Amino acid sequence: MEGLELFEKKVQPILVESCYKCHSHDADKIKGGLLLDSHEAALKGGDTGPALVPGKPEDSLLIRAIRYTDPDLQMPPKGKKLSDEQISVLTEWVKLGAPRPAPASTDRLNRRRSTAEDKDWWAFQPLSHPSIPEVKHPRWSANPVDRFVFSRLQAEGLKPSPEADRRVLIRRAYFDLIGLPPSVEDVDRFVSDSSPDAYEKVIDGLLRSEHYGEKWARHWLDLVRYAESDGFKLDEYRPAAWRYRDYVIRSFNEDKPYNRFLMEQIAADELWPENPDALVGTSYLRQTIYEYNQRNVPGQWAGILNDITDVTGDAFLGLGMQCARCHDHKFDPISQKDYFRLRAFFTPLSPREDVPLATSHEIAEYRRQMALWEEKTTEIRARIASLEEPVRERTTRDVVEKFPKEIQALLGKPASERTPYEHQISNLAYRQVTYEFERLDGKFKGAEKEKLDALKAELAAFSEFKPKPLPTMPLVTDLGPVAPLNSIPKRGNEDVLPGFLSLLGMAPVEIAPVAGSLNTTGRRAALAKWLAQPDNRFTTRVMVNRIWQHHFGQGIVATPSDFGHLGEKPSHPELLDWLANYFVQNNWSVKAVHRLIMTSAAYRQSALAPSSELAREKDPENRLLWRMNVHRLEAEQIRDAMLLASGELDPTVGGPSVDPSKPRRTVYTKWLRNSRDSLLEVFDPPDAYTSTAGRNVTTTPSQALMLINGHYALQRAQAVAERIIRTQPTNESEAVEAAYRFVQGRAPSASERSAAARFVNEQAARIAASGLGNVAASTEPMLRRSGSTAALFKPEGTQTRLVVPDNHLMPTYDFTVEAFVVLHSVDDGTAVRTIASRWDGRRDQPGWSFGVTGLKSAHKPQSLVLQLIGDPAEDGTGGYDVVASGLRLDFGTPYFAAVSVRIGDTSETGITFYLKELTAGADLQTVRVKHSVTANHQSNLPLIIGAREPEKRVVWDGLVDDLRLSNVALKANQLLVNREGSVDGTVGYWRFEEPNFFGDSSPNGHNIRSDIAPANGADAKMAGLVDFCHLLFNANEFLYVD
Amino acid sequence: MSAANQSRPPHVEKLLNRRDFLVRGGAGFGALALTYLMESERLLAAPLSPSAARPMHFPAKAKSVIFLFMEGGPSQLDTFDPKPKLREMAGQRLPESFGKGLITAMGEVDSPLLADRREWKQHGKSGIWVSDWLPHIAGCADDLAVIRSCWGDGLNHANGVGQMNTGSTLGGRPSMGSWVSYGLGTENQNLPAFTVLCDNNGSVVGGPRNWGAGFMPAAFQGVRLGAATEPFPNLNPPRGIGEEQQRGKLDFLLQLNREHAQERSAYSELDARIRSYELAFRMQAEAPEAVDLSKESEATKHLYGMDQKETSIFGQNCLLARRMVERGVRFVQLYSGTGSKWDAHAKIEQNHTELCYATDKPIAGLLKDLKSRGLLDSTLVIWGGEFGRTPMSEKGDGRDHNPTGFTMWMAGGGVKGGQVIGETDELGLHAVKDRLHVHDLHATILHLMGLDHTKLIYRHQGRPERLTLNEGEPYTKIAG
Repeated sequence: MEGLELFEKKVQPILVESCYKCHSHDADKIKGGLLLDSHEAALKGGDTGPALVPGKPEDSLLIRAIRYTDPDLQMPPKGKKLSDEQISVLTEWVKLGAPRPAPASTDRLNRRRSTAEDKDWWAFQPLSHPSIPEVKHPRWSANPVDRFVFSRLQAEGLKPSPEADRRVLIRRAYFDLIGLPPSVEDVDRFVSDSSPDAYEKVIDGLLRSEHYGEKWARHWLDLVRYAESDGFKLDEYRPAAWRYRDYVIRSFNEDKPYNRFLMEQIAADELWPENPDALVGTSYLRQTIYEYNQRNVPGQWAGILNDITDVTGDAFLGLGMQCARCHDHKFDPISQKDYFRLRAFFTPLSPREDVPLATSHEIAEYRRQMALWEEKTTEIRARIASLEEPVRERTTRDVVEKFPKEIQALLGKPASERTPYEHQISNLAYRQVTYEFERLDGKFKGAEKEKLDALKAELAAFSEFKPKPLPTMPLVTDLGPVAPLNSIPKRGNEDVLPGFLSLLGMAPVEIAPVAGSLNTTGRRAALAKWLAQPDNRFTTRVMVNRIWQHHFGQGIVATPSDFGHLGEKPSHPELLDWLANYFVQNNWSVKAVHRLIMTSAAYRQSALAPSSELAREKDPENRLLWRMNVHRLEAEQIRDAMLLASGELDPTVGGPSVDPSKPRRTVYTKWLRNSRDSLLEVFDPPDAYTSTAGRNVTTTPSQALMLINGHYALQRAQAVAERIIRTQPTNESEAVEAAYRFVQGRAPSASERSAAARFVNEQAARIAASGLGNVAASTEPMLRRSGSTAALFKPEGTQTRLVVPDNHLMPTYDFTVEAFVVLHSVDDGTAVRTIASRWDGRRDQPGWSFGVTGLKSAHKPQSLVLQLIGDPAEDGTGGYDVVASGLRLDFGTPYFAAVSVRIGDTSETGITFYLKELTAGADLQTVRVKHSVTANHQSNLPLIIGAREPEKRVVWDGLVDDLRLSNVALKANQLLVNREGSVDGTVGYWRFEEPNFFGDSSPNGHNIRSDIAPANGADAKMAGLVDFCHLLFNANEFLYVD
Repeated sequence: MSAANQSRPPHVEKLLNRRDFLVRGGAGFGALALTYLMESERLLAAPLSPSAARPMHFPAKAKSVIFLFMEGGPSQLDTFDPKPKLREMAGQRLPESFGKGLITAMGEVDSPLLADRREWKQHGKSGIWVSDWLPHIAGCADDLAVIRSCWGDGLNHANGVGQMNTGSTLGGRPSMGSWVSYGLGTENQNLPAFTVLCDNNGSVVGGPRNWGAGFMPAAFQGVRLGAATEPFPNLNPPRGIGEEQQRGKLDFLLQLNREHAQERSAYSELDARIRSYELAFRMQAEAPEAVDLSKESEATKHLYGMDQKETSIFGQNCLLARRMVERGVRFVQLYSGTGSKWDAHAKIEQNHTELCYATDKPIAGLLKDLKSRGLLDSTLVIWGGEFGRTPMSEKGDGRDHNPTGFTMWMAGGGVKGGQVIGETDELGLHAVKDRLHVHDLHATILHLMGLDHTKLIYRHQGRPERLTLNEGEPYTKIAG
């Protein structure tokens, strides 16, 4: 290792760790007059002379001191002697001449600490009140924003661009404010509106639209790394998370003052504990990832607090606080202690799931009814409790035993003896017990299980008296009025109290418990109030900059979550401060800032103006805004715009999240940390683990493949074509005109129209010649499955039936049907949604059908069932036998489902159902059921997947993937879910993967025949039109905004 | 300088101007990295000097990595790290001195010690100990650098797999393959720089984020290879769409996009997108060739164990890995036991017997094949899991997770074979000598690729981010 490298890697860490505390410029008290943090200072030495002689370790005081050879000179003192290895490192270094990098050549990224000058950085200065520059230009003098922008351009000798065409302008405004494109009618109305405020009317209309919040909430959700699952192995779904998403949408739609919005998220429980709407905001503090079985509880808790501190620094303050978590910030005057001061506001947190989101009146009413129900059920519940008691005890013991001893001791300690911190740790640990309690039913077996079920059935008889549970979601409060210790790791036990950045030189924060709330420290309320102050230089600038960023593609500060030295300086510093003041003066109204920006000439510029030589040279990146920027749509906008064009978009606002297969806006689709929708995934969504201030914009072949070959875009194109056909076009020319109107929001030019019509005809000819039909692409990927496609079935509309006509090897006696499925609905009546069948539905004809029961089923609705029709048992019962499993499937959830049949065995071991949710950690549920049909249950009918002869109501609704049929009764360890591939007895194994979608993966050649007519003339024309609509979705005109 | 080094793209020199790269951006998987570099420069704060923003290159042999990930945590005590003491003390409790402050996932600190039941032999000239579970790999002992002193912070699978892949137990950060492809790009524009193969259709713990790009652009993420007929998602046109039809669509799309671009010549991103469609069409023809094993000889297939049921799946993946590397893919990750199958909390004998058998011959085949083709020098092969297993028993015949001391090995790519690095304590619980944390392993791997882990920086929210989270040190002695 060379000298400099040795210094960087080995010496410097020793000096920092063991010497600089007393011997550096930043030491609280410099001891012995000695400084070791520069070469010169070390040579000069301290009170006892030079500390080192380069090249001569034996003559260097430093080396003598660390060797402890001289009893009067021992450093570091008090027996903290360095290790032998450390001593030899320093000796070697001095021997090499004690080299250090020259200060000037030190790379910025290798700098060790910030300097006093760093405090002069622009972002740390108070808000200024700049005057608006005088501008004479008629178009650029009305709006203050323009006067700042124009005078800057003028100073550089640059000319702004002319105003964009109205058609361009309205599309830009729509995408910017509501994330959706305008319809042709919207465009035409605006283009023909001659009133002077035509444009302003459009903007105001959009600001009033409830779709506005859906667009702008998403920017906020990116910042707070919103997701609807826990992360980690289980990635458990958070079913109530959507309430926070709706809260954010509502807040933007109502134009809630931003300072109120942020105060609610930080401290609504302290400031407005009676306001259920505001309380939802504190779910901001529950967006962290969580691992349900982490035995290192203190570590997990520290991680949660750090994460909250980091995101608060990023999102609200625009400062990279997390650099200071482990060491003083190297570039900004933010000390490690500052980090822990900010963290201190959150250390008293106590996560809670039981805060009702209801008014006090509603809560009182609920409690009244509940008391009534409790009274009626006292006795039954007591019996259930006593039955459960031993299981609870056993469960608790099992969980507690897995923790390390200290945690076990803590859990055993009486609550009254625990410190606040110990309370937090034991509460977090105890969640692992609660987690098991929520699954208590599954821990009962045999007779005990029957007893429990009977008691629960008895209890259920009283359910009419039980009040509907009040809505709730994971929220927070403080643990109590006393805050736990907040110390810096490895720095002793000093309790770091809440405080703001030391560089501000503010008085210590006064924390007062909030009146009326006994159980909080008031810390977060103090933070919220500081953040919400009208002169807060961080909160105000950061938010107006974010608004600007989403209108122009980049902020006035191009690093929107880092205003420190690692970020970029503002392009228009005066404008930034002026806007910040404007924002506050307008009661922190985000909409006021939108309106101001969007009505400016700067915003209304064309993006297409040719750039001048001067502009390219002086400002190639257009930081000074001499034109608008063309930009790509974000992932959500691409999907939403396709659904809008196809007429499928369900505009419902708010509510629980839905599967991405539903035509709701993307902001309402399930947003899981570990498995994401494949379409969105390729278009740069936020990672949902850290705060995202601006999304990446990439251009990749995966995107091209997704749009041109993926099923989602093709299905939407089909829907557009169907929508066009409903307008009854009389020729191709009219059809393509409609396509342009629906997809691009405009009429085509004459030449575009004729070129497109020609394409449709030519394409139809190609399709007819190929003999392939552009058949309904009834496939879709299945979440949590790696294959790219699964078969998609819908009970309504024309349906492609998947039939296996070859009966060779088909089961005659025992059999097993297995598949991976997602269910979207069940029949309202008694019809069974079919996974696979060999039956025509007549009860006097043999066969079987495996599926899921309907809502009015005599058996448990929405659960796996096998219909078995054949010879009755010896006692004459049976013939038509409905074997019900009681295993229920949730909608939209991927499962492995199977039934294994030993036909001759009418005992409980005869038929076994299996069901396993496709999440890590989910159990394989197994249910054994008796049956009465003993033979002759196999028909001569073909196997049909996802349906049965001949009824429509029994068609599967959802996905079926990897279906395997075997002519033996498989055991649990042979199941497809455990090992993929064929096994002995496999009749057919259909994986539904392109290009051999219809192929049988087993050696038996049981290929599927799909019931689709070959392409004829009319079909080919339709297919050509679908292709045209499909490529419009792929066109840059669709994907970019001018 | 070896031929391998000469063929390395002179990455930094390639950055000519922004326009150049935006245009190239449409040309393939690799150039996208550069597209983004330029793009991020524009968006970023204080411009960095080229040496700070991008990796320093120093001569190194490894051009590609094949990471054999035994998911679930293979036992070091039954494979590469024999502990006679464990047999002596079998059935007893862990002595107090070993278990101080120890946390295990299932709380097995006080469970009786479990002896291994292996036969051990020293192999090759180097005399490296390998158990009878891995006879074929043992035959390659002189190519291996066995690291017995690995340790990490992940107590559970999600933490461990997350840290081994991304450096962080929490997840969400860019994976090692992403960092490497960010640093070095790819040498084949028609294939992703980073590919992942799993031995079953299940899900790696934590899901695709283990090969995700985190806060980096999506272009750097790994691509999980699917069926041979469609190795990458959406590579093939939808069912029922013929080649003529697809070409017709792409031609007309090109026409529309060219018209659109006429007025927008200043925006090279539009150009890049046009080219990305051309590439998509080309890849459709070329990528399947990369995964087509029909031209491989029977002898090769036999070498990888593809002619035997138990070894055929992992053998096939190993052979695919070699074909990827041959075609310039930078980072290939192979999962064995996808979905924590190596996680032998109980019945370790049965569990490891099967999994060792399924992987032993294929891995040895891969090493031999790479060597005979002259590829081993430029290919770094890594073997290991997210952690090892405890000397304490669980459920009588299994072992709990052990991140405090476990074994990995590396071969090829400039690694000096036939050496054993580090030691665990007498019972194989804690790494005690030459301890290499996961960050150190990452720094070492980057080092072998010619990348300095402190200089491979990606700026996110202004912060300089590194794979090693500002920790770790390369164990350079591994190169001999």
